[in-house]
Amino acid sequence: MSYFLARRIAGFVLTLWAVSIVVFAVMNVLPGDPALTILGLDSTDEARAALRERLGLDAPVVQRYLAWVGGALRGDLGQSYSFGVAVSGLIAERLPLTVSLAISGMTLTVCLALVMGLTAAARHGRAGDWAIMLFSQLGIAVPVFWLSMLLVLLFAVKLRWLPPGGFPGWSDPVAAARALVLPTVALALVQSAVLARVTRSAALEVMRLDFVRTARASGFAPGHIMWRHVLPNALVPIVTIVGLQFAGLVTGTIVIENVFYLPGLGRLLFQSIANRDLVTVQALVMLFAAIVVTANFLVDIAYVLIDPRLRAGRA
Amino acid sequence: MNARLPVNILIGAALVAVVMFAALLSAIWTPYPYAGIDVANKFAAPSGAHWLGTDQLGRDLVSQLMAAAGNSMGVAVVAVGIGCSIGTALGLLAAAKGGWIEELIMRLSDLGFAFPALLFAIMLAAAFGPSLSMVVIAIAFINIPTFARVTRAAANQIWRREYVFAARAAGMSTFAISRDHILPNIAAPVIVQATIEFAVAILVEAALSYLGLGAQPPEPSWGRMLAEAQTLMYLAPQLAVWPGLCIVTAVLGFGLLGDGLRDISDPRLARRRPA
Amino acid sequence: MIALHNLTVRTTGGHVAVRGADLAIQPGQRLGVVGESGSGKTLLALSMIGMVPEGLQVDGQVLVKGETIAADDERAWRRHRARTMAMIFQEPMAALNPLVRVGDTVAEPLRLHLGLDRAAARKRALDLFEETGIPQARRRLGQYPHELSGGQRQRVLIALALACDPDLLIADEPTTALDAQVALRITDLLVRLSQDRQMALMFISHDLAAVSRTTHDIVVMYGGDIVERGQTVRVLSDPAHPYTQGLLAARPSLMHRERRLPTIPGTVPQLFALPPGCRFAGRCARELPQCVGTRPPVVATPTGQAACHLPGAGQT
Repeated sequence: MSYFLARRIAGFVLTLWAVSIVVFAVMNVLPGDPALTILGLDSTDEARAALRERLGLDAPVVQRYLAWVGGALRGDLGQSYSFGVAVSGLIAERLPLTVSLAISGMTLTVCLALVMGLTAAARHGRAGDWAIMLFSQLGIAVPVFWLSMLLVLLFAVKLRWLPPGGFPGWSDPVAAARALVLPTVALALVQSAVLARVTRSAALEVMRLDFVRTARASGFAPGHIMWRHVLPNALVPIVTIVGLQFAGLVTGTIVIENVFYLPGLGRLLFQSIANRDLVTVQALVMLFAAIVVTANFLVDIAYVLIDPRLRAGRA
Repeated sequence: MNARLPVNILIGAALVAVVMFAALLSAIWTPYPYAGIDVANKFAAPSGAHWLGTDQLGRDLVSQLMAAAGNSMGVAVVAVGIGCSIGTALGLLAAAKGGWIEELIMRLSDLGFAFPALLFAIMLAAAFGPSLSMVVIAIAFINIPTFARVTRAAANQIWRREYVFAARAAGMSTFAISRDHILPNIAAPVIVQATIEFAVAILVEAALSYLGLGAQPPEPSWGRMLAEAQTLMYLAPQLAVWPGLCIVTAVLGFGLLGDGLRDISDPRLARRRPA
Repeated sequence: MIALHNLTVRTTGGHVAVRGADLAIQPGQRLGVVGESGSGKTLLALSMIGMVPEGLQVDGQVLVKGETIAADDERAWRRHRARTMAMIFQEPMAALNPLVRVGDTVAEPLRLHLGLDRAAARKRALDLFEETGIPQARRRLGQYPHELSGGQRQRVLIALALACDPDLLIADEPTTALDAQVALRITDLLVRLSQDRQMALMFISHDLAAVSRTTHDIVVMYGGDIVERGQTVRVLSDPAHPYTQGLLAARPSLMHRERRLPTIPGTVPQLFALPPGCRFAGRCARELPQCVGTRPPVVATPTGQAACHLPGAGQT
C-alpha cells in the first residue's frame, strides 16, 4: 500500500515537472523572441530591449526556467504585462467563479450520468435504454459552445427566464446563481453523455455477476440493487472516466466562460492571449495542466479506496 | 446487439459521405463565392436563390457551410494523418525495441495526456499567433501519444505470435518484421482510432475557430460562423442553427462509424479503450 | 406450500426447456432434484422464485401458499423471496458482493425486510453465523468475501438465505464448487438446519450420494421432463426409469473401483434436438417404437412414479 502510494506520488511529481518544462519551452524558447511576440512586429528595437530587460529575458534559458519554477512554488507567478499586477492576484480574484462552475458542472454531470446510465442498464434493450443511448450519442457530438448558444436562444432570448451571460458578482447570491445555471447545464449535458455510456456498460458488466442474482433472490427492490450493489462494483471504470473528464471539464470551463462572458480563469486566459500577455498565459496554461494531472493522480488513489481487494496490497 | 452493428456503420457512413461530398464539391463549386458580400441582400430568408438564406453581410449560407466543410475536413485529414503516422511509427518502435526505448516512448505519451487538445492548441496559439495551421499542429501533436499507445498495445500482441517468431528465426530484421508482419495486423485498431480522432479533430477545430484561435476571417469555418452568429442572436437567431447542425452531423458520422468499426473489428476493444 | 402445475419453460426459439412439470413441496419436506446439466433442474428451481432468465417464456401455474403468482409479477415475487423461499447458488465466491463485509451482507435483508436497526441486525447476523457453523463468527462479520474460504463463503450465503426465516430453502448445486470434505459438512449443515427450523429443503444436484444423504424424497429430471419420483432411498435402490438406472450405474462405487465405469451412451442432446416423445429415446437401452413419437404416461411404480412406456427393473 505505502509502496503503491510512494510510486504514484513520485510519478505525479515527475509528470508535473515534465509539464512545466513543456509549457516553459513552448512559451519561451520556441517562439524565438518573446518580446517580439508581446510587442508585435511594429515595435522598435529599443522597446523590445527594454522589455527583455524588465522580464529578465537576457538571462540564460535554464536560469529563467529555474526562476519561474522557483517563483511558482512560492506562489509568485510573475507580473502580468497587460494588467500590471501580480498574476497570482489575478488568478485568486477569478478562481472562485471558475471553481464554482467546475464543481457545479461536475456534480450535475455525475448525477445525470449515474441516473441515465443505471436506468439504461436496468432497461437494457428496451425503449428507455435506446432513448438514453441516443441522447448520449448526440451529446458526444454536440459542441459545448453550440449547445450553450441554443440554451441561450431558448431560455434567455425566447423565454427570458435566465440571463444570456455576464456575471453580476457574488454580492447578490441569487443573481450569481442564476447566472451560473445555463453554463452549468451546458457543461453537464455534454459531459454526462460520455459518462452515462460508461456507467451503462460498466453496470451491464456487473449485472451479469452472480452476486446480483443473490441480491435479487434476497428480495431486494431493483432500485436498491442497482444503487447499492451494482453501482459500487461498477465504480472503477466510472471513476476512471470521471478523472479523464477533468480534462474535458477544464477545457469545457475555458470555452463556457467565453461563451457566457463569465470573468473566470478561462476568460482571463483569452484576454491575456489577446493582450499577448505571455507571463499570464504561461501561468494559466501551467495551472490548467496541473489540475488535469492532479485529477488523474487522485483517480489512481481513488481505486484503492473503492476496492478492498486492492487495499490488501494486491495492487 | 447484433442488429445494431450495421445500423451504426450505415448511418455513420451516410453522414460522413454527405459531409465529405460537400467538402470535396466546395473545392470546385459552391452556389456563390463563400466570401461574396452582397449587403443589399443581408439576412435574406431561405429561397430558391439562397437555399438557407444569407448572413449579416449578405453572404450565401450554403456556400459558406460547404467551404467550411472543406476546411474542417482538411484540418482533420492533415492533423490526424500526421499524428497517426508519427504515433504509429513510435508505437511500432516501442513494441519492436522494448526496454528503455519503449519505457521512454510510453512515459512521453503519458505526458501528452496531461494536455487536453484544446489547452495545447491555446498554448500554441498564444505563442505563435492564431491560425488554422496552429490548429493542425496542435491536433497532430495531441494525436501522437494516442496512436503510439494503441499501436504499441496491439503490436506487442502480434510480436508474441508464432509466425513472428518464425520470421525472426529466418533472420528477418526488426524493421522488416514491423513493416511486413506487424503493421498489416494492427491496421484495424489504428483505423478505428483514426475514425474516432477524426470526430475529435472536427470538434477541436470548431471550438478553436469559435474562440478566435483557428480560422481567421474571411476563412470559412463552422466554429467562426457560430462566433459571428452569437453577436446577432437577438437579430438573426437562425444563423446560430445551421453551422452547429453541420458540426453535429460530421462528428456524429465519424463517431458512429468509429464505434461500429470497433464493434466489428474487435469487441474487446469496445470496453478497453486506452485511458 | 409451494406447487407447480404443468409448468413449461420455452426459449425464444420455441424450444421446450421444461415440459409440463408438476411438483409440490410440503412444509419441512426435504426434496432432492437430480439430473445432468441441461436437464432443466435449475430452471425448475428458478421458476419457483420467479427468477427465470429474461427472454424465456414461462407457462403453467405457480402457487405460493395458495396464491397464484404470474411469472412476470416481479412485485409479488419480491414479497416472497427471502421470506417464503430463499435460494443459494453454486459459486459461493461470485455470489457475494466483493465490496461488502459479509456481516453487512447478511444484515442487509434483516434491515430492509424485517426493519431491524443496525445493532439488532448485527446481533442477528452473528447468531446466524453461529447457527451456520462459521468459526470465529464475531471476527468474520467484519471480513470481505475474498478473505474467506469457499466453505465459509457458502455458509455465509446460507446464513443470508436464512435471515428472514424462509419456509423453503432452495440449494442449487451448493457443494459442486467445494472440496469433498467441505461439501459433506455443508450437506450435513443443510439437513440439520432443515430439521431444526422445520424448513423445507430443495436440494439440486447431479451427485446422487449427496442427494441420498440429504433428502427424503427425490425427483429425477431428464431433458426438461420429470422422469421419475419417489422416496429417495427406495428410488435409488430400485429405480424404474431406464435413465435413473443409467445414472446409478454410472456412479463410481467403492466396490467396483477397479472396473471401468459404465456410462450412458451418448450425451444429453441439445434442446432443439430432443425427440418429441420420451426425451430419453435414442439413448435408452429399452427403447420401444412408440418412445420417439409419443410422450410416455406417468405410471405408478413400486417405488413411486415414472414417466416411461416400459418401466421396470430391466438391465441397462
